[in-house]
Order: sequence, then structure tokens, then C-alpha cells
Amino acid sequence: MHVSEQETPIAKPPITCLIVDDSAFMRFHLKRMMESFENVIASEAANGTEAIREYGRLKPDIVLMDIVMPGLEGVETVKRICNEDPEARVIMISSLSYKEKVAEAMSAGAKCFLPKPVTTDELRKAIENVLSNALESRTKGVV
Amino acid sequence: MRLDFVKIFIDSTALMFKELIGPTVEVPSIAMKPSPVAGREVMAIIGLAGDAQGRVIFDMDLFTAVRLAGHMLGEPSPGMTPLVRSSIAELASMAIGRAISKINDCGTRIKMTPPTVITGANLVSYDQCFETLVAPIATAYGEVRVNITIQDLD
Repeated sequence: MHVSEQETPIAKPPITCLIVDDSAFMRFHLKRMMESFENVIASEAANGTEAIREYGRLKPDIVLMDIVMPGLEGVETVKRICNEDPEARVIMISSLSYKEKVAEAMSAGAKCFLPKPVTTDELRKAIENVLSNALESRTKGVV
Repeated sequence: MRLDFVKIFIDSTALMFKELIGPTVEVPSIAMKPSPVAGREVMAIIGLAGDAQGRVIFDMDLFTAVRLAGHMLGEPSPGMTPLVRSSIAELASMAIGRAISKINDCGTRIKMTPPTVITGANLVSYDQCFETLVAPIATAYGEVRVNITIQDLD
């Protein structure tokens, strides 16, 4: 049997994503968008409490977070996740996009805010920006 | 009745429907009624609270709901599945969320509740005491009536 001496390309690890929304429609829709991107694994949580538990378990690269949810709502959930992990990369996706709410979400620790309805292109750009900013600040931290 | 807010709700809803469902969306007429006229098989209800309070009810027949949801999901649905109910709830939530954002940016603090979707025959809403503005929205998949009641807290 011939064994090739060619270098095996190192496979990039997949980007992991946690989708948090009480709406089954939005979880379905965002998961389908995420899975249309290359090398992405998406999981779901239907409320804030579940999101905190799943974040701790999965430590995803990206979190997509809704705001209006029964029980623990989105901004408070982000605050709690970022208290535990200040490097958490959360993108808020909500139809509630007034200035005060956006500011509240960003000061809770969100890295980006997208008003609903979000397009595939907007989501892709937001994820690329958040991930490249995270990489940049990590590199600066090392230097 | 805060008619200035009502206009924002109707404009935002029509615009959101255009973005999500397609350009053939029209609001042919608007009427003031002594109470909501919602009574079709599918209702999505969102409560409003804060500096002003009220309620928005979207109602439509089952066929319209299933076809609207099918468009949003990108695939036809066999009937009133949980995913169809969720799609209708999200459609209402996105429309009202956008209106509330505009109102908040103008200085009035209003919050919304998560939407509740009710399905069944002969549904009746019991908000008889409140004047309601009713706006039928014509879409390619059938008519959605938007019932808006909103008043300042005095």
C-alpha cells in the first residue's frame, strides 16, 4: 500500500454557535442560516436560564441572543454570561432596537447588535467582525 | 387613544410585512371601532405597558396563517404546526418591536410582552370597553387584521 508523503491539511476547527431565542421559528431560521455558512455547528437554547447552562457546557465561539423572552430576558442573560466569561462573544438579535436598549445590551457585554429581521449577509458580516476583533484583541494581549 | 402611536404601529407593521412577505402588501382602510373585531381562527396578542398601555391583536384565518408561515419558513406547511404558530408569533413580535423602538426613540417608554398565539373557531376578544383602531392588511396570502388599543396612563 502506497502511503502519500504529502502533508495532510490541518482541518480548521468548526465555529460553534449558541442560538438563544424563545421563538422556535427564530431558532429554526437562524440555525438554517448558520448552517449555510461553512464549518459551523449550531446549538439552541429557548430561554435565558437554559442559555447560561448551555454556555457553560459548550463555551461556544459565538452566541446569538434575543432580548424579549419570558423569564430571564436577553440583556440580563448577557450580563450573567459575560460576568462568568468576559471574553464571551455575544451578538444581540432583536426587534427592540431603540437607542437605549442597544446601549443597555452593549454595556451588558454584547459585541454587536442586529435588528430583526436579519439577513444572511448581515449575520455573516457580524460574525466575521466579532470573531476577527476577538482574535485581534487576543493577539494584542499576547504582544 | 394615542393616534400618533397607532400610525407608527400600522406603518411599522405594513413595512415589516413587505420585508418579510413581499411587496404586495396594502392597508386599504382604517376604522375606529368600540372594541376589537378579532374573531378569526388565529390570533396573536401582544400586550403594551409603560408610559402608555394597551394591546395589539393580529387576527387571520387559518389558511392565511399557514401560508404566511410557509413563506417565512421557506417551505409549505401541512397545517397549524407548532412552527407555524411560532412563525405567526414572531411576525407579530417583529412588527410591534419595530414600532415600539420608534416610539421609545421619541421619548415615550413602552415595553411589550412576548406574543401569545391562540387558535380555534369563533374566538372572541373581551376588551369591549376600549376603543380600537382596526387596520386590515392585505397580503398575497390573505388578510391580516391589526387591532390596536393604546392609551396614555393617567
